Amino acid sequence: MRRAGWLALGVFVVTVPWLLSAAVPRQQRYILHVLIFTAIVAALALSYDLVVGHVGSLSLAHPAFFGIGAYTAAILATRAGWPFLAGVLGAVIAAALVAALVGVPLFRLAEHAFAVGTLGLALVTSVVANNWVEVTRGPLCVTGIPKPRLGPLAITTLPAFYWLALAALVAVALFYRGLTTFRLGRAFHAVRDNEPLAGAAGVDPLKYRLLAFTLAAAIAGGIGALYAHYLSVMCPEEMTVSLTVNLLVIVFLGGVGSLRGVLLGAVVFTALPEVLRLAPTWRLVIYGGLLLLVVIRSPGGLESLLRRTAGAR
Amino acid sequence: MGAISGPPCDTDLILDIFEQLLHGVTLGAMYAMVAAGLALMLGVARLINFAHGEFFMLGAYAFWFGYSELGLPYPLAALLAPAVMVLFGIAYQRTVIRAILPRSWHVQLIATLATSIVMTNLAIIVFGTQPKEVPTALSSRVLDVGGFRMVWQRLLVLAASLLIFWGLNRFVARTRTGRAMRAMSQNREACAVVGVDVQRTAMITFALSAALAAAAAALVSPLFNIFPDMGTTLTLKAFAAVVAGGFGYVNGAIAASFLIGLTEALAGSYVSYAYKDAIAFLIMIAVLLWRPQGLFGRRIGI
Amino acid sequence: MALLEVRGLVKRFLGVTAVDHVDLAVEPGELVSLIGPNGSGKTTLFNCVTGYLAADGGRVTFRGHDLTGAPPHRVARLGVSRTFQQVSVFGRLSALDNLLVFLQQHQEERLLARLLRTPGLRRLEAVAVERARRLLDLVGLGAKAEAPAGSLSYGQRKLLAFAGALMPDPELLLLDEPAAAVNPTMINQMKEHILALHREGKTVVLVEHNMDVVMDISERVVVLDHGQKIAEGPPKAIRRDPRVVEAYFGR
Repeated sequence: MRRAGWLALGVFVVTVPWLLSAAVPRQQRYILHVLIFTAIVAALALSYDLVVGHVGSLSLAHPAFFGIGAYTAAILATRAGWPFLAGVLGAVIAAALVAALVGVPLFRLAEHAFAVGTLGLALVTSVVANNWVEVTRGPLCVTGIPKPRLGPLAITTLPAFYWLALAALVAVALFYRGLTTFRLGRAFHAVRDNEPLAGAAGVDPLKYRLLAFTLAAAIAGGIGALYAHYLSVMCPEEMTVSLTVNLLVIVFLGGVGSLRGVLLGAVVFTALPEVLRLAPTWRLVIYGGLLLLVVIRSPGGLESLLRRTAGAR
Repeated sequence: MGAISGPPCDTDLILDIFEQLLHGVTLGAMYAMVAAGLALMLGVARLINFAHGEFFMLGAYAFWFGYSELGLPYPLAALLAPAVMVLFGIAYQRTVIRAILPRSWHVQLIATLATSIVMTNLAIIVFGTQPKEVPTALSSRVLDVGGFRMVWQRLLVLAASLLIFWGLNRFVARTRTGRAMRAMSQNREACAVVGVDVQRTAMITFALSAALAAAAAALVSPLFNIFPDMGTTLTLKAFAAVVAGGFGYVNGAIAASFLIGLTEALAGSYVSYAYKDAIAFLIMIAVLLWRPQGLFGRRIGI
Repeated sequence: MALLEVRGLVKRFLGVTAVDHVDLAVEPGELVSLIGPNGSGKTTLFNCVTGYLAADGGRVTFRGHDLTGAPPHRVARLGVSRTFQQVSVFGRLSALDNLLVFLQQHQEERLLARLLRTPGLRRLEAVAVERARRLLDLVGLGAKAEAPAGSLSYGQRKLLAFAGALMPDPELLLLDEPAAAVNPTMINQMKEHILALHREGKTVVLVEHNMDVVMDISERVVVLDHGQKIAEGPPKAIRRDPRVVEAYFGR
C-alpha cells in the first residue's frame, strides 16, 4: 500500500470513535470494546509470531508471559500503588526475566521436548496463579486495578482507551517490523530455515532463539499489563491453553511470519465471533475445526491466499 | 476403626504414608496406561497426538453412559468403553491422523491440539459442565486390614493395570503385529521393503492406544469425577511421562508415570495439594536437566 | 606453527570407530585433499573439526586456539568456513541475503541502533551488500541476486554455498565434495575458483572423490581408510602408493 493509502487508513482508524458516535451512537461502546480487545489480541499475536513464525520455535508458553505481565502490573498497581507506566515496565521486565531464565534450559531440548516444556511452563504458571492466593488471590482475582494515567492524562473513557490500545498496537507493529527485517530478521530466518548452516555462518542459533523468545515474552507481558488495566480485574482464567489455540489460529490462519497476515487474522478471528455472538464453546469448536482444516490444507493461511489472488490479477 | 482421640502415634503416620503410597501407585497406573498409548503412537508411527487425553475423557463418558444410563453391569460397562473408543479411534485415524501423519510434527501438534479443543468443547455442549459421578460396588466398599484402609476399586485398578502391562509387553514381544510394531519403531523405511503392512500396523497401534486410555478411564471413573476438561491435564502429564521416559520407549513412559503418580500423591498430601498438578512437569524438567534423552538414555524402538 | 592441527582425533558411533586416532596438520596456504573410500571417515572428521559432532578423543587446534568441542558458530567466528556435502542454503532467503547472513558475526549488535538504523550500521550494511554482490558476480550468480535460493538449480546452489563460505574472508576453507554431482563445466569452474583462492594465500582442505580434481590441484593428499590415516604425500606419490590402491580396489 502506498503512502497515501496508509495515511488514509490511519486517519480513518483514529477517527473511529467519532464516526461511531455519529453513525451508531447506541452501539458505540460495544463496538469500541470489541476494537480495543482486537487491538490487544493483535499485538499479542504479533509477539507470538516472532517466536513461531520468524525463529521457527513452536512455543506454547505465551499465555504464561501474558499472565505474568498482567498479574505483575495488577499487583504493583493495587498493592504497591505504582503508577501505570512503571507497572507496565515492571510487567515487561518480569515476563522477560522468566523467559530468559526458563529459555536457556528449554532451548537445549530437542524440538518436541521444547514444545512440551513450554506447555508445562504454561500449566505451571496457571497453577501458580490459581493457588498462590497470598499474592494473586487465586480464583478471587485481583480487583480494583485503576485506570491508566499517562502523567496528567487519565485514560478513563472508552475512546481514550481505544487510542491507547491503538498506540500500543502501532508500537508493537513497528517493533515487530524492526526485528524482522534487515540484519536481525535475516539471522532469525537463517536459524529458522537451516539451523546447521546458520551455525556454519557464525550465527549462534541458541542466542537468536532466546532473543526472539525473550523479546516476544516482554511484549506479551506489556500487553498483559495493558489488558489488566483495561478490565480492572485479572483472573487466572485469562491465561489458559485456549489463549494459545486462539493465537495459533490467528497466526496460522492469518499467515505465519507476515505482519499483514497476522493483523488480518487478528481482526477476522477476534472481531468476527464477537459480531456473530458465538457462545465460547461453539466458537472454540469452530476455531478448532478451522485450524485443523487450514493447517492441513493451506499452511500459508489467509495471507498466502491473498497473495495468490493478487498475483492472479 | 475405633477412633483414638489423643496424640497421633507412629503407626497412624506409617499407615497414612502407606495409604498415600498405594494411592500414588494407582494414580501412576492410570497415568501409565495413558502414557503407554501415547508412547506407542510416538514410537511406532512417529505421531504426536495432543488429543490423546480426550480418548480418556470420551472413554470415561462412554463408561458412564453404559453403567449409569444403560444400567449395564460393571464388567460390561468397563469393556464397553474401550470397545467404543477403538471404533472412535479407527474413525479418528482414518480421518485426521491419515491426513497429518506424513506432515511435520508442527502440523501434527497443532492439528491434534485443535482436535482436542473441538472434542472438549463438544463434550461440554453434549454432556454439560456438571461433573458426573459413577460410584460402583467396588468403589464404595473398603478393604480394612488392621487399620489400613483401601478402597477395593483402587486395588482393582492396580491389578488390572499390571495385567494390562504384562499383556502389552507379551503382545509386542511375541505376536507378529507386535514384531511389526517394533520393526516400524526402529526403521520405518526398511519395513515396507521387508513386507510389513505399515498402514495396518499403524492402525492397530492407534486402536490399541485408544483402548488403553479408555480402559484406564473405565477403571478409574468410579473413583474420580468425570468432566469434559479432564483430558487436557492428563495429556500434558502423559506427555511429561513420555518425554521423561525417553520419547517413544513404552516401558520408560510407564516407569516415569509411576514416578509421577507417587510423587504427586506424596507431595499432594504432605507438601501442597494445590500445586500437585505442577509436579509432573517439575519431574520432567528435572529429568531432562539431568539426562536430556530421558531416564533410560537414548533407545531405539519401543 | 600449523594453521590447523588435529591430533589423535577419535569418533565412535554405536561401536563403530569412524575416526581412529587421526593426526592431521595443515600449514598456512596449503591446498590439501582428503580422500578415501566411502565410509572412511572424511566427512566425520570435518564435522568433528567444525563442531557438528563431539569427538570422543583427541584435540583440534586452529591458530593455537583449542577448537575441540566448540560449537559450529564459534568455529566459524574464529575464521574457519565450510561447505556441506548435501548442498545447504537458506531456501527462503534471496541469494544476496544468503551471503549477508555469513557476515552476521562481523556486525555489532546494538538493539537501538539496529532499530533506528543509524548511519554507522547503514554503512556496514552497504559494504556488506557490495561484497556480496561482488562474490555473486564472481561465481556467475550476479543476475540471480534477488531470487530465492530455493529456486536455483543444484549447481547454482552449490556455487551460492561456496560464495557464502567465502563471505567472511576465512583463513581456512573446508570444502566437502565441491566437485560432486555437477557437470564438467562446473567442475572446471570450481577448480579455477579453488586455485584462485590458493593463489591468494588461503588455506583450503577438500574432501573429494573426483580423482582428476584431486590429482590436478592438490599440493598434498591425505588418505583415510576405515577411520585411519594410511598415507599422505604429494599426489603423484599417493597415486602409486600400494596401500592406497589396496584401500580403493583391494579386498
